[in-house]
Amino acid sequence: MSTQAIESLSEDTVRRIADERDEPEWLVETRLNALSALETAELPDVIQTPGRRWTDLEALDFESLVDPLNQADETERTAGDDEVVVLPFTEALAEYGDVIEANFGSVLDPEHNYLTALSVALFTTGTFVYVPEGVDVEDVTVRAEMNSRSLFSQTLVVAEESSSVTILESIETGDAEVADDRYFSNLVEVVAGENANVQFGSLQNLDDDAYTYSLKRGVTDTYATVDWIESNFGSKLTRSDIETELNGDGSESQIVGTFFGTDDQHFDINARVWHQAEQTTADLVTRGVLDDVARSVYEGVQDVGEDAWNTSSYQRENTLMLSDDAEADASPKLIIHNHDTEASHSATVGQVDAEDLFYLESRSIDSRTARNMLVEGFFVPVLEEIAVDEFRDDVEELVLERLQ
Amino acid sequence: MSSQQDDLKETDTEARFEFKKEEKSAFKSEKGLTEETVRVISEDKDEPEWMLERRLRALEQFQEMPMPTDWPGQPDLSEVDINEIVPYIRPDIDKRGGADSWEDLPEEIQDTFDKLGIPEAEKNALSGVGAQYESEIVYQNMQERWEEKGVIFCDMDKAVQEHEEIVREHFMTKCVPPSDNKFAALHGAIWSGGSFVYVPENTTVEMPVQAYFRMNSEGMGQFEHTLIIAEEGSEVHYIEGCSAPKYSAFNLHSGGVEVFVGEDAHVQYSTVQNWSKNTYNLNTKRAIAEKGGRMEWISGSMGSKATMLYPSTILKGRGASDNHITIAFAGEGQDIDTGAKVYHNAPDTKSTVESKSIAKDGGRTNYRGLVHIADGAENSSTAVECDALMFDNESTSDTMPYMEINESKVDVAHEATVGKIGDEDIFYLQSRGLDDDDAKQMIVSGFIEPITEELPIEYAVELNRLVELEMEGSLG
Repeated sequence: MSTQAIESLSEDTVRRIADERDEPEWLVETRLNALSALETAELPDVIQTPGRRWTDLEALDFESLVDPLNQADETERTAGDDEVVVLPFTEALAEYGDVIEANFGSVLDPEHNYLTALSVALFTTGTFVYVPEGVDVEDVTVRAEMNSRSLFSQTLVVAEESSSVTILESIETGDAEVADDRYFSNLVEVVAGENANVQFGSLQNLDDDAYTYSLKRGVTDTYATVDWIESNFGSKLTRSDIETELNGDGSESQIVGTFFGTDDQHFDINARVWHQAEQTTADLVTRGVLDDVARSVYEGVQDVGEDAWNTSSYQRENTLMLSDDAEADASPKLIIHNHDTEASHSATVGQVDAEDLFYLESRSIDSRTARNMLVEGFFVPVLEEIAVDEFRDDVEELVLERLQ
Repeated sequence: MSSQQDDLKETDTEARFEFKKEEKSAFKSEKGLTEETVRVISEDKDEPEWMLERRLRALEQFQEMPMPTDWPGQPDLSEVDINEIVPYIRPDIDKRGGADSWEDLPEEIQDTFDKLGIPEAEKNALSGVGAQYESEIVYQNMQERWEEKGVIFCDMDKAVQEHEEIVREHFMTKCVPPSDNKFAALHGAIWSGGSFVYVPENTTVEMPVQAYFRMNSEGMGQFEHTLIIAEEGSEVHYIEGCSAPKYSAFNLHSGGVEVFVGEDAHVQYSTVQNWSKNTYNLNTKRAIAEKGGRMEWISGSMGSKATMLYPSTILKGRGASDNHITIAFAGEGQDIDTGAKVYHNAPDTKSTVESKSIAKDGGRTNYRGLVHIADGAENSSTAVECDALMFDNESTSDTMPYMEINESKVDVAHEATVGKIGDEDIFYLQSRGLDDDDAKQMIVSGFIEPITEELPIEYAVELNRLVELEMEGSLG
């Protein structure tokens, strides 16, 4: 099966969304093209081995999940500095239409798959971040609440030459009551200019009635850095893809991921890097904990192209199982087309170390507390990668909350 | 060192595999695959009715299944047209089921195996030897002392006749059913030849038994079936070697291997595969290990145009263990897609996979592996380690492991590294007076040593020679 026709969707729906926002013609066109791409687009690839499909996206009933004309969110954006532009996507169109037009879709083809096309056709919220040349800003925050059955968000970050920016985004469920399930779709494009440095942190903690699709992709120019932190705590089912194309010589990317699944949560976490220029470096680090009957799926791809001379590429993934009924699938892949490469990857799955537990208990710490301490400790190597205190505190707090 | 190297160079290894013999056969089927073909093969072998039925059912499954095309990065199989293959060629020999003296074979077949060094190896290092030429075993012999202990080592076709009950129970039923994949189904329909090995309880066959498979004719397919049954507490080491001269048309090898490792039994299965570079090597190999049983797969994939082979072990009984050691060497025009599959279905099971691959001159290697730990397989552990060496920028080296963990009390680790031959290593060896070629050869020999040390010395030397042949003169 490739696609599901959503009957309530029509050209008219898309035009209404665009008209309400008084959007320029090119964007309306892009949306309509995405809409028609739905007819042929495929759902995102999911790993399948004999007898096991790692994530079942086909089971999602988009007909009932997608409610395009009643999208609602409450989003608070702070820039911390006048020199950087942080605006709701729609508002930004009036003043920065040219920059947006030049970059929109340049990183992530709206017709990449069925879910991206759906998202581009229907998005009503999102953020535009523009960092002019040489500007250095640390605390851009975007805190969003989802208040409708479905919400489609589109974010574009343009960092010009030698600029630097740290962006933290979070999404939670708001107070508005919604019957049945929800669907949240979040597309993020990051364009990092020469010698620019973008750190993009994302914290997803939606209620467990939500399905989340998130695809974030960055491209780097020469000497640029794009670092991602992707933390997933909420949602019933999460499909998250974090990707960097290292297109500039000497550019770098780090992808740090954390997840913590309880009950019957399902996380499908993907981290991918394409090395397409010389002297590029990538570091992929993901750590996750699974309790109850939660399940995780991880795919990491380090793709080294023919022209990627002198590449360094590393990947680590560790999953900790707290419950006997949890399940973890992992596939760390290396695709190497250039021999001048140093690449490694590793993946482990295990449980809390019995000796460590015994040691703590012998110090008269009760077993529950001891276990919780070890789980907190398990996250330390990834928390240390998070440079922003506020974000690290948020993640720590959510870990603690889950351990109670 | 250098004099030893020279000695090796004087042996014309290439000529040993590349010679061709005029095609002579007693019976040759038509090209392609129909129900008629299957009936003709079965009739020519005078098989019991149940085997014909199994073949026909497998044929049906083959025809229903699509060609595998959706595996990420898989080798191109578009050239593989089963209608262009001659599935069955019975060599022209007097005795069916394998002569027990080399002298009884027609001269050209005798000469073939002489050149491959099989009779020589038999004298020195083996408990028994089987030799297959085209579709049937032409020579089969085992030392008497094993026969006396009840060890059976015979041609698979003969086993169907003489050990019917045990073959009927184990042949493509619970280990590799034809429904497993399209080429297993193909194999089930037109299999011919191969070995049957039966080792009784508490018997240790101290020296390895070997089967050698040779394809001589252009455009043929070889579909030998190997069935190994090691009863409780027994131990056996089986070695298979394969080669064929190179033709312009493609050849197809689609073997089937089934291994039953009884309680506390130990089976080692070693393969040195050197098919010609027009051969598609699409095999299905699987072992089932009972309580405390131990299975070892040692595979060297040097030849073939494209290989898709993932020897698998099902760890069915408590405390069973598996050990995979694989080496893949892909040169110009070769796509070696190989790996390992392990299913941990019982508690206290262990597996280790060690994979080494070398890609050069535009070749591609891929490690594709699956480790599955079932719910309830407590205290299982698995460690997968993949190392790849790349020589140049035209080559490709991929690693695609899949891990499925349904049990929390486990220890799972996967690791992989990719590197190039270090300039410093080469410089060091050169400073000791070795030239560039020799230095690279030594580094490669060191890289694959974990594999060669698992093989009897004759085979280790053979493998080293093959590697050397691949490396010769092509380094820059």
